[in-house]
Amino acid sequence: MQPDATLISRVLADAGIAVSVEDQRVVGPVFRVPASDAPSALRALKESSHSYSFLVDLFGVDTGEAIDVVYHLRSYVFDEEVHLKVEHGYGSTLASVWELYPAALMPERECAEMFGLSLSGHPNPKRLLSTDAVPPLLLKSTLIRTAEEVRNR
Amino acid sequence: MSDPRSIVSHAGWLTTEPPAEPVTLPASLKRAPSGVNELMTEHLVVNMGPQHPSTHGVLRVLLELDGEEVITGEAVVGYLHRGIEKLAEHRRYNAVGTLMDRGDYVTGIMNELAFALAAEKVAEIEVPRRADWLRVLLSELNRLASHLVWYGTMGLDAGAMGQFLYAVRDRENLLDILEDVTGQRMMFNYVRPGGVVNDITRTAEVKIHRFLKTIDRYLDEHDELLGGNEIFQGRMRGVGVISKEMAVAFGLTGANLRASGLSFDVRRDRPYSAYEEMKFDIPVAEEGDCYARYLVRMAEMRQSVRIIRQCIDGLPEGDFTAKVPKILRPPAGEAYAAVESARGELGVYLVSDGTENPYRMRYRPPALFALQAGEALLPGVMLADAVVILGSLDFVLGEIDR
Amino acid sequence: MALDKLTGENSILFIRSEQLFDWARRHSLWYMAFGIACCAIEGLMHASGPRFDFDRHGVFFRASPRQSDVMIVAGTVNHKMAETVRRLYDQMPEPKWVIAMGACASTGGPFREYPNVVLGVDKVVPVDVYIPGCPPRPESVQYGFLQLMNKIQGQTEERLAARRDAHK
Repeated sequence: MQPDATLISRVLADAGIAVSVEDQRVVGPVFRVPASDAPSALRALKESSHSYSFLVDLFGVDTGEAIDVVYHLRSYVFDEEVHLKVEHGYGSTLASVWELYPAALMPERECAEMFGLSLSGHPNPKRLLSTDAVPPLLLKSTLIRTAEEVRNR
Repeated sequence: MSDPRSIVSHAGWLTTEPPAEPVTLPASLKRAPSGVNELMTEHLVVNMGPQHPSTHGVLRVLLELDGEEVITGEAVVGYLHRGIEKLAEHRRYNAVGTLMDRGDYVTGIMNELAFALAAEKVAEIEVPRRADWLRVLLSELNRLASHLVWYGTMGLDAGAMGQFLYAVRDRENLLDILEDVTGQRMMFNYVRPGGVVNDITRTAEVKIHRFLKTIDRYLDEHDELLGGNEIFQGRMRGVGVISKEMAVAFGLTGANLRASGLSFDVRRDRPYSAYEEMKFDIPVAEEGDCYARYLVRMAEMRQSVRIIRQCIDGLPEGDFTAKVPKILRPPAGEAYAAVESARGELGVYLVSDGTENPYRMRYRPPALFALQAGEALLPGVMLADAVVILGSLDFVLGEIDR
Repeated sequence: MALDKLTGENSILFIRSEQLFDWARRHSLWYMAFGIACCAIEGLMHASGPRFDFDRHGVFFRASPRQSDVMIVAGTVNHKMAETVRRLYDQMPEPKWVIAMGACASTGGPFREYPNVVLGVDKVVPVDVYIPGCPPRPESVQYGFLQLMNKIQGQTEERLAARRDAHK
């Protein structure tokens, strides 16, 4: 169910977005767009003839240099799936896309909390999983407890 | 008389004539939206949970009530956040299954399977046919066990008690089978990248045959006990209607999506393991209300029994695991694998960097998306219906918080 | 009647009131229906189900902390949950007991390395009985309850012995 990479690229290019395609070994084509264009890229995909109206998942990956936010979209009309990657610097702002995909409400909060991003345009930009003063837990720089600490509990 | 309204009965009670002069409410006082209640009410914030018998775990819902009507509802989660995604980055590929089990703790086999499929995709491992069939067999047994938990607790939410005991009775039989094969009642750690840990035992096969003899009768019993109950139907019909558009917008999957009329099942549309060889139907309902979700899940249980029958009759000979090194080091790459868990599409997005630990493991929790839809349904419903709506969506907090 | 069995038919029983209360408490330990995670399915659901049937020990669930004697901490306690656990414990009437069920509640279990997890619920509330296992089987929970009953009986006898010693 991998989409036609050239078609998706054309849809994004028509919307005036600079897009680069990475060909992943297993996942297939992954489209990378600049952070400022992410909402408009999602809008273009949703309103395209393939109608990617289902947000499967939204999550972040700490690559060591920046945070890749992955939008995983699905079209029930054409039975295709698209992975869209957006690079965010540490501590930058994640623009909410909840008006396009209400499913993104909680995953966005989780992503922002776990990677230390701030949210813009979100109706309820609170922490989702942890309490205040907990560091961004999924960053590679946040360490887990050592065996010594656990033993001396 | 400054306020001539009756204090004992509501408007229209035994009054044949309209009052001489219409009562005008002061503008500062808000009228209740339903129009039935002529009393002036204040909004009340009620904190339901984290310890509440009907929240299926440690969910907290902040409800703003006007009388008995919910104005807004906000779900507060995170009371069970244990860092499964983070700890997976510090475990070997074979050991991540222990964490996955404890994610959605009612459907352990399917969680392990999602991770194992992703690891196999990224490491390009071929799984023997017998292992695939065993995975399907145990997944379906586990799905039955999970749906029985939902069936029992859903009835509790709607105010019944008996069906819970019947559900636990059947679940004990299922757990006996699962324990015989895997060695544990709940946290199996049975499916590993490359296959399964051990072959099915002779006694387990006997137990499955014995179970299959009775389960059809038991499922009929369940249907009659709860589904045929008029009060239960009254509580469920027309309550919490999710349209097809709303289901897609909120990312619903699994039985919740199929109850809204969209037929998508990972087992059929993205077949994994041996599901391509199985014959089964996908139950779909159009109404999208709580009762439709109930019917779809009950029908799914019968399909699970059908798949179990095919599995146990046609189990192919061969190895139960591929030759996989003890310390698996898949080449760098990314993979997404999804299974149809009892709650919907359970996906694992795995990023490997060529070392013995996953670089990043993302666990797509279907219940988190169901909870969002439930939250969006709350405004305007009665408080008692809110409990039923949240119960009918079938979420497990271990999965939402991870 | 149970008392008849204990003392013979038509007999008269002299007993200290506290001894009688403790005897009664021992045989009606009502636990709070407060499942945190996986252990709740085993320790609360299946325990009250038809096969294990804790009811025969007088162990039954209540929905409210105000009506319960025992809190079974069944699952991982994290920093967000710890406050609630403490508040629920404070709401329970005296005398009250806590059972830490499973590895997570005892020491942090498989999640002990995660910074957000409390390393054992004994950091938050005093624990009487620890049940090992991940999750413990319902039989283990049953054994845990029997241990708790022994503990309550032992406490009575200790108290009585201490008073006897003081009067000597």
